[in-house]
Amino acid sequence: MAERCVHELNRALHELFVERDDVYLIGEDLLDPYGGAFKVSQGLSSQWPERVITTPISEASLVGVTAGMAIRGLRPILEIMFGDFVALGYDQIVNGISKFREMYDDQIEVPLVVRLPMGGGRGYGPTHSQSLEKALIGVPNVTTVAISEYHDVGALLTAAVEDPEPVFFVENKLMYGRPLRRPEGGYVGELRARETSGPYPAISLSGSEFGDDAVTISTYGGMASLALETATGLILEHELFCEVVVLSRLQPLDLEPLLDSVRRTGALVTLEEGTLTGGLGAEIAATVQEQAWEELRRPVQRVGARDGIVPAAPDLEAAMLPGADNLIAAVLSVSGARV
Amino acid sequence: MLEVLLTREDANTEFALLAEWLVADGEPVEAGQPICIVETTKATVEVETPGAGSLVHLFAAGAEVELGGAVGLIAESESELAEARTRVSGATAAPEGDAKATRKARELAERHGIDLGSIEKRGFITAGDVEALFPGSTAGADAASAADPLLGGVSTAGVSLPESWSEDLGRGRLDPAFVELLRSEPERIAQLGSDEKCAAYREAGAVIGEGVELGAGALIVAERVVIGARVSLGERARIECAESFCVGELTHVGPDLELRCQRAFVGANVHGGRSIRIGGGGHRDPWATLAVGDLAFLGDEIFVNVCRPVLIGRETFVTQRAMIVTHNIGHSLLEGFENRFAPVVVEDRAQIGLGAVVYAGCRIGERAIIASNSYVVSDIPSGKLAIGVPARPAGDVQVRLSEQRRAELAHQMIDELYELLELRGHTVSWLPDAAVRVLRIESELGSGQVALLERADAADALPAPSAATESVALSLVPGGVEVPAGWAVLDLLAQEVRGDGGVVLDSVREFCRKRGIRFGGAPWRYSGGLI
Repeated sequence: MAERCVHELNRALHELFVERDDVYLIGEDLLDPYGGAFKVSQGLSSQWPERVITTPISEASLVGVTAGMAIRGLRPILEIMFGDFVALGYDQIVNGISKFREMYDDQIEVPLVVRLPMGGGRGYGPTHSQSLEKALIGVPNVTTVAISEYHDVGALLTAAVEDPEPVFFVENKLMYGRPLRRPEGGYVGELRARETSGPYPAISLSGSEFGDDAVTISTYGGMASLALETATGLILEHELFCEVVVLSRLQPLDLEPLLDSVRRTGALVTLEEGTLTGGLGAEIAATVQEQAWEELRRPVQRVGARDGIVPAAPDLEAAMLPGADNLIAAVLSVSGARV
Repeated sequence: MLEVLLTREDANTEFALLAEWLVADGEPVEAGQPICIVETTKATVEVETPGAGSLVHLFAAGAEVELGGAVGLIAESESELAEARTRVSGATAAPEGDAKATRKARELAERHGIDLGSIEKRGFITAGDVEALFPGSTAGADAASAADPLLGGVSTAGVSLPESWSEDLGRGRLDPAFVELLRSEPERIAQLGSDEKCAAYREAGAVIGEGVELGAGALIVAERVVIGARVSLGERARIECAESFCVGELTHVGPDLELRCQRAFVGANVHGGRSIRIGGGGHRDPWATLAVGDLAFLGDEIFVNVCRPVLIGRETFVTQRAMIVTHNIGHSLLEGFENRFAPVVVEDRAQIGLGAVVYAGCRIGERAIIASNSYVVSDIPSGKLAIGVPARPAGDVQVRLSEQRRAELAHQMIDELYELLELRGHTVSWLPDAAVRVLRIESELGSGQVALLERADAADALPAPSAATESVALSLVPGGVEVPAGWAVLDLLAQEVRGDGGVVLDSVREFCRKRGIRFGGAPWRYSGGLI
């Protein structure tokens, strides 16, 4: 069985600690035997007690301390137990971390990594279930990366630590326990897979060998598996073929894998777990329509959570967050009566 | 059967390591006995049985197991043990060979007896992959149509085409001089009586079966005319097909039919209402092909525009005032306006509701239902109910019936039949003390008995038929049933008629038809009876 996501992240952290003595992990409840709320940091504090710093519950201070460590030459990794509470450090991000390099004329860098478990589906309620990527991608000069089970998540984490820019590293609570589904021999299941090069690749998956897909679905993070399951179902049930593009770096955004796909399909649906208004889907829709208007047969459709809070009750939470039905409706509406 | 469940100890941990089994697979266990050791991120835990029985391992030691799920089963009897074993083999079985084949591919393969395992391909197996295996010489309609340039590559998968579709094009060819006469002096032929008209067409080369009725003023202008036995076309029907007009036996179309296209193939037992209009401005386009499968229902005042192929499957319903269009009309495509010419396919048993509109290029999947007044602008998946403007799938069209529920419904049906016959003024009664339910009918139109058979052995309990009493058995027995001589059988599952009958059989058959149970196997049209 393929390695589970949480083990792969944990393994990458162990390797980073072995290879670099400037890597620190800072956050709440990190020490063994607990090893962090989602067990990503398990085993680290036993081996490197001086480089794993467990802290009181104060995300605002944590973001500031981490920024200071980075400015002074370390490579700190901050684990915010629930990504929702990055909001407490938002002032430091907007008015500090993102601005220091330019304000100080490139004399300093802030090479920190903030790990953010995001997403719902576990009944944790309004303040522990959000996907706040939209609040990060709108800030210039910070990099936002999201992992998916189709990516080499360990390599993404290593790339983030080695990145001289501040990186916000979005993980997904439901994904931790799932096995990774890396392309093997160019396929994930029956879907043909292509991966772009670079530290933060995009992975494109096609049911028709990139030949005859009717719609492109752009997604990232925890929604990638929903997109793939839905695309596979549409193929098996209706022979409606979609190309799924799973992004890993959300900002700055490399649009080329999406444009390449849209040139083949002529239709785009964006899928994200965060609330719809002002999200990554809006950004992608606007940019694709600017750059590939003549390629599109239909307006880009966005799928995301409703603009509201995430309830704790399972039925209400499911109704709030995007699901297969929402995605299928959007895909059918843009696939249109194509013949 | 009991399940050995792992408790979830905190909200964030979802799986654990099954470190060791303390009791071997298949061994007996006592209630509360520790049977395995599980390592979570926090602790090593012994798991105890919830009860006594034989232990069945669901996972081998060393496996990662989900917290909240079962690691083993406790079988409390031999039969439970066998059941537990099948659960284990089901859990570990490799995915089936055709798991990567699409539903269309699987259905097509089944229909044509093709083994999906013989298709060696990485990636999904589609209907196209299955069609490619059809032998060239005996190619089914699917392969032939895909190759037919006049069909523009539209797939006929899911559409049972009428027999005339693949018929020899020499059959029923009219004398060119007669065709010329039809075109230059149509009224001369149109004004003839039905029999005279049939005779004139036959003499010119048309193939027209027995008992065909062509209504007053009806006229067919086509180079080929093939009409099956007992077809009736209503008054003032005007049919203009450049190449072929073929229609299967027992098809009935009401008055004022207007049909114009290049070639029309209409199946057997099709019911067409009044004022049906097929063909518009594009009827002269070379692709203007209409196919309607057997037992289709075409409602009053429907409009089908055929400038590209329109394929309507078997047992479909295109109900009153529905519209199917194969092109749009508008401004210059060079100014960016849409310019669409595309076929429409309505797969077998699909239904198009009252006043619904199906736009060019759409495919309605098998058994799908389009709600009334919906506007279909995209393909509708098989088995889905689609509703709205634009039409979107909103649910499934069928529910799964248990055998018990099916039997309950059949009993309800025979109760309703009793009530209806009574309200119609016939004398009805239940046969007393019978092992099967038998409904007896006395009427001026005839007397009869109607039995409901649920099991094959129930046929032995049927009362003897008599010459004066028509005997009809409704069968719910899977695989059919043997009944005593003199009984006719309406097989409710296979939807087939066996044996002959009169007014009682016809009336019960009509009663079933109103519940969507339409029987093949014998020609039939209801023109009044007991109900």
